[in-house]
Amino acid sequence: MMTPRRAVLTALGGLIAAPGLLSGCSSNVIGGRKQTTIRFWNGFTGPDGRTMLGLVRKFNEENPDVHVVMQRMDWGTFYNKLFVAGLGGRAPECFVLHTRAMLRFALAGFATPLDTFVASENGLPEADFEPGVWDATTYKSEHFGIPLDVHAMGMYTNRALLKEVDWNPDTPPVNTAEFIDVCKRVRKLPKQESERYGFVFTNLETNGYTLIRQFAGNVFSPDMQTCILNSPENQNGLMFGRSLIDDALVPSPENFDAWIGFRQGRVAMAFEGIYMLADLQRQKDLDYGGAPVPQFGNTKAVWADSHNLCMRRGLDAPTAAATWRFMRFLSNNSLDWALGGQIPTRVSQLESPEFAKMEVQAQFAKQVKIVKYHPKVPFIFEYLTEFTLAVEKILRGREKAPTALKTAEDNINRIIERQRKQGVSGGDQA
Amino acid sequence: MKPRASGWMFAAPYLTLFTAFVIGPLLFGFALSLFRWELLSNVKPTFVGFENYVEAFRDPYVHQALGATLRFVWMAVPATILLALMIATGLNAVAGKRQGFWRAAIYVPHLLTVSVAGILWRWFYNKEFGILNALLRPIGIEIPWLSDVAWAMPAIVLMTLWWTLGGPSVVLLSGLQNIPVSYLEAASLDGATPVQRYFRIILPLMRPVLLFVTVMHVIGGFQVFGQVYMITRGGPELSTRSLVQYIYETAFNNYRMGYAAALSWILFAVIALFTLVQFRLMREERS
Repeated sequence: MMTPRRAVLTALGGLIAAPGLLSGCSSNVIGGRKQTTIRFWNGFTGPDGRTMLGLVRKFNEENPDVHVVMQRMDWGTFYNKLFVAGLGGRAPECFVLHTRAMLRFALAGFATPLDTFVASENGLPEADFEPGVWDATTYKSEHFGIPLDVHAMGMYTNRALLKEVDWNPDTPPVNTAEFIDVCKRVRKLPKQESERYGFVFTNLETNGYTLIRQFAGNVFSPDMQTCILNSPENQNGLMFGRSLIDDALVPSPENFDAWIGFRQGRVAMAFEGIYMLADLQRQKDLDYGGAPVPQFGNTKAVWADSHNLCMRRGLDAPTAAATWRFMRFLSNNSLDWALGGQIPTRVSQLESPEFAKMEVQAQFAKQVKIVKYHPKVPFIFEYLTEFTLAVEKILRGREKAPTALKTAEDNINRIIERQRKQGVSGGDQA
Repeated sequence: MKPRASGWMFAAPYLTLFTAFVIGPLLFGFALSLFRWELLSNVKPTFVGFENYVEAFRDPYVHQALGATLRFVWMAVPATILLALMIATGLNAVAGKRQGFWRAAIYVPHLLTVSVAGILWRWFYNKEFGILNALLRPIGIEIPWLSDVAWAMPAIVLMTLWWTLGGPSVVLLSGLQNIPVSYLEAASLDGATPVQRYFRIILPLMRPVLLFVTVMHVIGGFQVFGQVYMITRGGPELSTRSLVQYIYETAFNNYRMGYAAALSWILFAVIALFTLVQFRLMREERS
């Protein structure tokens, strides 16, 4: 018998998934042949959505017995709808999850482990996946997603501005000394109507996370039971970031529209995700380049996340097989996906001549072995709110690093304690 | 059929829907607020009494979100009422078709959805190439509208004024037009100046309309969410995160349904309290 809770959840999920019910997974007979419909939800609403749509069409043409229907929505809406649809048992057959969000869906029992599919006759070569990226999709030794890409942060450079300060744009800075040298050179340029900078902080969350990991810091203790955000390593990483602002080499985040400044040609270097490449590819008046992020601390590290292809739990065998076929198709064709501004996760693709021709992607991909994902915790949004707020306060100079990090650490430890009382377990270092 | 029975019959379709979609969810929400229900937890929903409410009173983010909401209400509502009254008074003095044109023009922004208005103003506020700083730059002023803690909330209030001013202006205009001309003529014959007529006759007669507009805007102000979410997402440093946004994040990002329901009821209580105070103040003033 259905429990009241389950009944409410089912009703709630059913309401949300109603449109899906109408056009959802079904087997139709077309031209005398049975056709399986697969719903595929994702948050690719930008130029990446057009690339993905092209891949879906190609799959549909090559597989007449399967019809994939793609639905795109912004990531915030996507995650809400997906979770509620999952509660009602009506999640789409195939969906995309970021690595950092995967644990929640695995815990809730919405995503199915894919290891048997990977190991099957029509599977995927596990050894061909970049190990760090592949391992990030695990929970309790099971893989819950096929990583489609790794969107690592990298360094975008304004080649013209580097030339203007007599720096060879083909050899961008690789360490602190060179990086600061470029920043100083740009600040010494004759004044223009608008300020010019060697570097700007764009995304505080990703920039801040890279800094703490480069200074050998981390967020949680190895057993994931305690937040250790206020460690000397993390303090050093973020204080280094603040020192760039104190030395007037870099603008404070509130005083500069960072990415727009880069696109306007007023910034020599900016750390952003590979997904921003699509912006630059459309811009014809900026001579830009890509490079790995310089090493500031004693550890090589750079923030990254991945889009993972996931399958709903509880599909019948034919639907699961059709869904897997689609997932495998996307993985095998992820070089096409990379063209739109992504880094593939398959070693064979990373080493292919076609990928080598994608200049910026290939540069960013040099970091693929040092990527650092956010820790896998069920309270990921609460953790990110605390972390980003601390970074924001430190870089804006509103609080000293120990104060801001201590506050965030205490808050996160309270969340851990609350989760423990609630029986929400799980969490893993990435 | 007795009149009383036929009245119920006429009201029945509405009352059915009202019960199903308003009263029912309200009661369900209240019941939910007495449970600890975390969607990621393996533990079944547990009755915890008023524990969620106690947690809310201790939660610094509730204080911060309530503070941001109060700041919004404090800045937006008086400005809205004052400006709308000025616009309505001005429109009332314009005769004929021209009044219709200006009334429509002032109301047009109100027709935009919050997402359109939000995106539009996010561009206006862009520090580098937004229209506002482009206008201010020649006089040596450049404002970090959305990235500075001190400016972010006023920026949201300014956008809200532009977006919503048409509604109260039109309502107040209709209130002004309902004041019998004979009252004003009589006052003029008695030697009242225009200022005296405005403050002694027009404003007192406008009190019910003003109360309506004020109450509606206080309620709307406490429920602010869309424009904040579109323009600042609650930043910088959470300085513009409203209580509704916090409730939304608690429920749909953190999946803490019981706690989110308790926060919703606290917001309801705050709004009800402010509304009652306004009614009481207006009644006392009248008596």
